[in-house]
Formats: sequence, structure tokens, C-alpha cells
Amino acid sequence: MLLADFGTSYCKLFDTEQDTEPRIIPARELPCDFRADIGTGHNAKRRSRQTVNELTALAKGGNRLIAEPDFTLLDCGSRDIKFVHFRNGKMADMGWNAECGASMGFTIELLAQYYRIDYGQVPVPESGFSVTCGVLGLSSIFDAVAAGSSESEAAAKFVRGIARNAYQFAGSPQKLHLSGGLCGNPLFVGCFPCEVVPLGRFVLLEGLKRPPHDPMNLSRSLL
Amino acid sequence: MPQQIGIVGVPPLAVIRQLNAEQVRIVDLDEPQLVLSIDQSDQYLPRVYCAILRTVLLNALNLRLDRIYVDVGPGKCDCALHVAAVLKDILCIPVIATRNTDTEGFGHPICESGLPLIEKMQRITKGVQCCTPSPSSLACTPTAGFWGVPPRDFSILEPFPNSTHIYGWTRCMENKTPADLELEAHCNPAVPTVFFAQSFCAKTALAKHLAARHPKALWVDSDVSASSSVRAKIEAFLELSGVTGGGCAAG
Repeated sequence: MLLADFGTSYCKLFDTEQDTEPRIIPARELPCDFRADIGTGHNAKRRSRQTVNELTALAKGGNRLIAEPDFTLLDCGSRDIKFVHFRNGKMADMGWNAECGASMGFTIELLAQYYRIDYGQVPVPESGFSVTCGVLGLSSIFDAVAAGSSESEAAAKFVRGIARNAYQFAGSPQKLHLSGGLCGNPLFVGCFPCEVVPLGRFVLLEGLKRPPHDPMNLSRSLL
Repeated sequence: MPQQIGIVGVPPLAVIRQLNAEQVRIVDLDEPQLVLSIDQSDQYLPRVYCAILRTVLLNALNLRLDRIYVDVGPGKCDCALHVAAVLKDILCIPVIATRNTDTEGFGHPICESGLPLIEKMQRITKGVQCCTPSPSSLACTPTAGFWGVPPRDFSILEPFPNSTHIYGWTRCMENKTPADLELEAHCNPAVPTVFFAQSFCAKTALAKHLAARHPKALWVDSDVSASSSVRAKIEAFLELSGVTGGGCAAG
């Protein structure tokens, strides 16, 4: 069975009969007729025979991967952010910001490519820009560069602003489990003012491993 | 051809009785009546404003109406009071502000029935135009709750099972007591409940407050139309709360 997390920029795939590890393919390289058996993510509806809600996949994936009764799991994607908060092993809160978090991961990647920035080499700045989303935050970068900041310094402040926004959106927890491609961005991870546990980019895929639309499964594990 | 009268909110029963006696055609201006861009309302109202009241203005500008009753005050909202003032200035027909403080409860059987949630909502909003109670319906055991006002975009109601009970101002509408804050604040802590308010509506405060006190709640707001993220949040909340399709049992 082919499982897929069809993100905006990258598709994460796992064939339950053939793969031992998930695979990542840039979304732009997927053939037009590519279809998964079960999919989640922004492009799942047109590419899957069966779809699972992204928040549901995140909650189920987090529940499988995190062996704690209380946790907050934040997924930072290319275009949106979403979180689930579990208390006593039950889902207590959730949120999905597809508007003000728009294009955040995508913008961070674009900045790295355009300015040729290695985020692993950029120190965490002491202050950041106040940005609500990737697109609106670009003006702050351009203004800072025009005022004499280096491009990497300006980009770092932008990344810090995005991370702080995401942190507040998730309820400002003391400990945050992080999901998504930005787990691999040391600058982004370092900008959170709390303990961060990066889980990588396959949490939603993990959430697909149980059969969808299985209320027993859900109610037993999450409620 | 009968007169065509627009209403906004829930005008007092005395007004509805009078309109029924006159055998006029009542048009609910809170609901989209025309396939027009809501941006047309920008000429008179801010773009960042309650989508229901922007719809009222859009309807009022483009429908042939003989007069309009706008309920303002505790049974509706201050924004309606201000929109009534705008309508009085820009229209050539009478715009009459009313203050519904009716207290006689007519019951809310539709809210607790096993009808599909969209149909419940349609019947309740239509019921505002008559002065009789809703026909009795068999109550079902609730598995989910929807608290709030009738949304501008009813598609937000699609994910809910038939066994969803309605609470909040919509229940007050069916009860014909729109200013009954106690009834509006009532909800059922035993069932997962979505607390909904239109974006930029004063009722967002009550929705957020009640959701925070409810043990299984999701608070959402939505503007002109239901975004994919709002729909997905509701779907995930219901699914993760163990709410499944709605069989309806008496009770």
C-alpha cells in the first residue's frame, strides 16, 4: 500500500510492502498521473484514492511517536503551520493556520537559495523581525539589507520572527515537538525559546500507517 | 404583486405578525440572496467587517424592497445598529430599527432533532418569518454540538452528523427570544462542540469564552466563506473526538 504526504513543496512516500524508509520527492517532479492509496497533505485530494485530514494524520502520527501523555506537536510546512496538544493522552487542543503562516517554509527555502545562505552556519540572532507570514516578512528583509545589515543577518532575523510566531501559535509550551522539513534547519530550531524535540518530516506519514476512518482506533488512542 | 420586505436579524414577533397579516413577501437579508461579489459592499462598509452585515448591505442595494426592518440591540448587535444608520442614509425606502426583547419562549425542537444540520439551520432561519412555533420533532441523542449563529456559508456545517444539536444564538432564534443571553450561553458539556462565530463579530468573545470552559470544544471563526483550513479543523476535531456519522435515537 502506497502512503503519501503530499506537501506543497515535497512529497513524502512510503510503500508498506517495499520500503524500509520513507522517500522524499520534490512535488514538482511527481508525474501528473501519480496516485497514492492513502494520502494526506495539501495536494492529497487530487492524488490519492483515499485521503486523511492533515490534522488527523498529525495527531495520529504524534500519538505513535511521542511516548508522553502531555505534549504539544507543531508541524511547520511550506505554506502553513498546525499543531495538536495532548493532555493526559487525549487531544485537548488543535490549530491550523493556513493564512497568516502562509508560505513560511517555502519562503525560508527560497531565501536560502537566492542569498546562498547555509542556515547551519548562521548564528541565532538576539532579536528578530515581527513577521506574521513569509510573504509579508520579506519587506523587513529588504529594508534591513537597505539599512546595512548583511543578507544572512536579515534572513536570520526573519527566520527568528517566523519561529517565534509559530511558537506562540502553538500556545507557547515549555517543550515543543517539531514536525516538518524545518526540523533540519538548525537556525529555525534554535530560534524557539523552549526545549525543542525535532521529529523530522515523516510524522504525518506515520499517522497514515493506521487505517483511516477507523473510529475505534481514534477513540481508543486519542480520547 | 405583494410587497417585498427585508428583515435583518430577528425582528419582534409583533412586527412579524404585522407582516404576515399584510401578506407581504419577507426576504431574509442576512442570507446571500444574489450571486454577486460581496466586494460591492466595500463602497459603504469596511472590507474587514462582519460578512453577514456586508451581505445585508449587498442585498439591500440590489433587491427591489419596499421597506426594511433591522433588529438592533441585545437581540442582534451594535454593528446592525450602525448598518441600519448606513442603510437609512443610502436607501430611498423606509429602514426601521427594532429592538427585540421578546421573552416568551417558543421552544427549540429543530435544534434537537435528527435532521441534517444544514436542513436544521435552513428551517430555523426560515422560521423567523412566521410567528408560530416550529413543528414538533423527535429529539435525538446528541453526539456533537454546534454553538453559534447561522454561518454565512452553510458548507461549514457539512462535516457534522445528523445527531448534532444546535446551541447558541441559533437556538434563541428558534425560541424567538434572540436577546436571551442565558439561553445563548447554554451548551452541553457532554458532547464535543464547535463554537462558531463570524469573523469580526462581537460574539467571537462569547464563543471563545464558552469554548475555553467546555471540556471538548473547538472555537472557530469564519469570514465570507469557509476556508479549507476551517473545514479541515472541524473535520479533524469531530474525527479525533470520536464523533461518527449520526444515527438518531429518541431521547
